[in-house]
Amino acid sequence: MDPDAVAKAFVDHYYSTFDANRAGLGNLYQEGSMLTFEGQKIQGSQSIVAKLTSLPFQQCKHNITTVDCQPSGAGGMLVFVSGTLQLAGEQHALKFSQMFHLMPTPQGSFYVLNDIFRLNYT
Amino acid sequence: MEEQIDLVGKAFIDHYYHLLDNDRPALSSLYRPSSMLTFEGQKILGVEDITAKLTSLPFDQCQHVISTIDSQPSTFAGGIVVFVSGSLQLPGEEHHLRFSQMFHLVPVLEGNFFVQNDMFLLNYG
Repeated sequence: MDPDAVAKAFVDHYYSTFDANRAGLGNLYQEGSMLTFEGQKIQGSQSIVAKLTSLPFQQCKHNITTVDCQPSGAGGMLVFVSGTLQLAGEQHALKFSQMFHLMPTPQGSFYVLNDIFRLNYT
Repeated sequence: MEEQIDLVGKAFIDHYYHLLDNDRPALSSLYRPSSMLTFEGQKILGVEDITAKLTSLPFDQCQHVISTIDSQPSTFAGGIVVFVSGSLQLPGEEHHLRFSQMFHLVPVLEGNFFVQNDMFLLNYG
């Protein structure tokens, strides 16, 4: 399957899950997964989901501007995303960049090994 | 272990942008034939083409000012992913350009790293 198509499919799935049901992100991470969220380091699926579900907003909508991907070796894929994040009730959307390092699962899909998120302040 | 990763990531970033700002041809020492660069959406493969791209960017001088560096181990035998944000000042330009960049670094025997994956994006306001 075309790597760009795989990356785009993952990104679509990730952010639609994030925007609709953050707890559902749990099956995209494993015990060895790492998230750095605005400089804060979190390890493991449980802690990562706890962090994401405790973010101080009820609703949000990610709009993706760019998706770049490259194979990282041994079946892994690096995905580099930029876009905006609209929080309910906020007038201005926040700009963000995020990188994922995806690793294949035996079932033929991917999980997130590395995840780094940063807001882009102007 | 995490602190070590941060130190390694920061040391690499300092070295990388120092070369980019002062001696762009020397960047070829950081890439290999298997390296990949995606520069503003354009995909480039291999140390020769990557070095050609970076040395042909349409400015003689630039200054990168780094705002954030985030590093994580990538599990591939000592590999590291590094995520950078900062601004880029070009001479004669009044406004800085903001950018994000990610690197996947793979260790080589001498204790150094080469860039296996590199993705660069300007952040437009």
